[in-house]
Amino acid sequence: MLLGISAVLVACNNDDSASGDGKVELDFWVFGATNYESLASEYEESNPNVTINIRKSELGDHHNSLFTAISSGTGAPDLTMIEIDQLDRFRQAQDNFLNLYDLGADEIQDQYLDWKWSMAESTDSEFLFGLPTDIGPKGLYYHTDVFNNAGLPTDPKEVSQQLSSPEAFIEAAEKVKEATGKPMVDSMEMAFRANMDAAAVSYFNRDGDLIIEESGNEVKEAYDYAVELNQQGYVGGFEMWTPEWATALNKGEFAAELAPAWLKGYMTENAPEAEGKWRVATLPEEFAGNWGGSYISIPKETKQSEEAYAFAKWLISPENQLKSFTESGLFPSAPSVYEMEEFKQNEDAYFGSQNTAEVFAEAAQDIPEVYKGPKYVTVNNEILTALQNVREGANPSEEWDAAVKRIKDLLER
Amino acid sequence: MELARDQKTSIPKKKKRSERQKDMLSGYLYIAPFFIIFAIIGLYPALFSIYLAFQKWSGFGPMEFAGLNNFAIVLQDPLFWKSLYNTLIMGVLGTAPQLIVGIVLAYFLNMAAVKFSNFFRVTIFMPYITSMVAVALVFGVFFSSNESSLANFIIGWFGMDPVNWKTSEWGAKIAISLMVFWRWVGYNTIIYLAGLQSIPKDLYEAATIDGANKIQQFFHVTIPLLKPFIVLTVFMSTVGAMQLFAEPTVFLGGQAFNRDEAMTVVMYLYRDAFNLNSFGTASATAVLLLIFIVAIAGLNTWLTSGKKAKRGRI
Repeated sequence: MLLGISAVLVACNNDDSASGDGKVELDFWVFGATNYESLASEYEESNPNVTINIRKSELGDHHNSLFTAISSGTGAPDLTMIEIDQLDRFRQAQDNFLNLYDLGADEIQDQYLDWKWSMAESTDSEFLFGLPTDIGPKGLYYHTDVFNNAGLPTDPKEVSQQLSSPEAFIEAAEKVKEATGKPMVDSMEMAFRANMDAAAVSYFNRDGDLIIEESGNEVKEAYDYAVELNQQGYVGGFEMWTPEWATALNKGEFAAELAPAWLKGYMTENAPEAEGKWRVATLPEEFAGNWGGSYISIPKETKQSEEAYAFAKWLISPENQLKSFTESGLFPSAPSVYEMEEFKQNEDAYFGSQNTAEVFAEAAQDIPEVYKGPKYVTVNNEILTALQNVREGANPSEEWDAAVKRIKDLLER
Repeated sequence: MELARDQKTSIPKKKKRSERQKDMLSGYLYIAPFFIIFAIIGLYPALFSIYLAFQKWSGFGPMEFAGLNNFAIVLQDPLFWKSLYNTLIMGVLGTAPQLIVGIVLAYFLNMAAVKFSNFFRVTIFMPYITSMVAVALVFGVFFSSNESSLANFIIGWFGMDPVNWKTSEWGAKIAISLMVFWRWVGYNTIIYLAGLQSIPKDLYEAATIDGANKIQQFFHVTIPLLKPFIVLTVFMSTVGAMQLFAEPTVFLGGQAFNRDEAMTVVMYLYRDAFNLNSFGTASATAVLLLIFIVAIAGLNTWLTSGKKAKRGRI
């Protein structure tokens, strides 16, 4: 009976997608603020036989439904975005994805940043799990009115000079708090990520051992820095991606974000009234790192691997990465874009006609290749929960110990 | 259906199904669709999750036999006990008042004197057919943690400080219990109303002649005769309360699975399966929950129906 039903479903599916008359339908799952809808329509125009169905969802939902589809072996799309933090989780199911080297990905390898490319390779470099889309080099987003009221400079270059170290960042936070009463950063997560995204090693080593308690591991330092900022009252209570957070962005309820290039997409969608109020400066070296960015993978289930690969290759080509940057702030992983005239001359209206590209391009050059591990997101969530409890008045060291204990329990499962 | 049968003895033919067998077969065919669908979407997943409870599986790759290890992990997890405690507290807060208020409301709706009683009957049933997500969103706004939210404004009249409705231990439980109460009270009222209308009028007349007042009638005629309906609603509410999931999940939003103030058992197992990709422990939790539900529902049914109603003196 079950077999009968699934056979019928498969049959229908084939009629839909597999080409009857050279027509190809590609299902493409995306998340977040991208310009992939408009790029897909462009591709459809130049390839009349191809239709691309984009399904857009939130980051968490996107990866959960992908997990379900891959796990059950049915219902996966022809192409999917996978976020960099989730990459190792899905690589556990490498057999359910296509090796993009088999489809000819080695021909375009030299067009992309090495660290970004090799993070999607297997350890023996034989298997390529995804094609690189954007990267997330971080800059210092700051609200000019708040900085101005606090007696801080508002010109990006001067800001970079003055806020050139974690200590200087705290001094600036103090000025902001005294003059305006506003917090320096929006949330504990932002404060924690300041150092966390810059760390070359995160929660696990490549053997899969949890290393947050080992000396020299920087997670605890990142945690302590966030706790310190919070004790001084420099951290706000605006959880990222909530409506309250969008309102705070809009009104400049806090001074700064240590955030990647792609945040611009969220800001233009959720904080349109703040246009012209934000600028981007270079972060102190200790805070420079990568936050986010994605890959495009092709589940093995697809009947149209060639067509899917052709579209993915086109989508991440340097010319299209330039479009994704100017339209949605997705920062290119193809260094050749950094030399393009349009990229260098890009004046961003949202940031008061500042050329933000050069700030991020500088940050993109030396990003370490970080090993995250399959359980990265799980562990990260527990640390964030501890930090949130600290912000609500809990004891920081007790919360840290409790989080480590919870993490160890979770890894047992 | 009894068909008129030919009584003549017919010439023996090839072996054919007798009429009785034919009747049986068509009967089974008529009920088959339900059982086939139930087997696919009800029974098979249920049995599979019992099988999974003894395996270690991340959703990808092969399963490993884990014996009773999943149960050991869950039973030693303080968060599991916390979620069970939350579920029981919210179950009591959400359903006990509901059943009492439901009987009282039904009693008033059943009075002949109430005008527009049909209108009220429809209105009271409305919350039950409202979309769960819409309800949770409206309650989410009402119980927003801002100091200026409606709920905080109202308790401010009584001189109370604003409550963090989504992250405080009792605030979250009370808000969610209220939501459950509001949503289900009408459903139970309608069931009681049906029960009340099945009570013969002459019992009340007899009670009146014996000199019983309205209140005595309510306790000595209405309640005892409503007993089967009370047993039914208690049973349904208990099972429903133990499986509480949608209300707290939508109400708490993005933070739902990272905090423990209002995490229910079903949320706990959902988190295991879909956030932590640990399907073995999630299934073990489901099996444990099944055992708890059977025990608690059994206890409740025994309490409400097992004892003889006491004879009060009139």
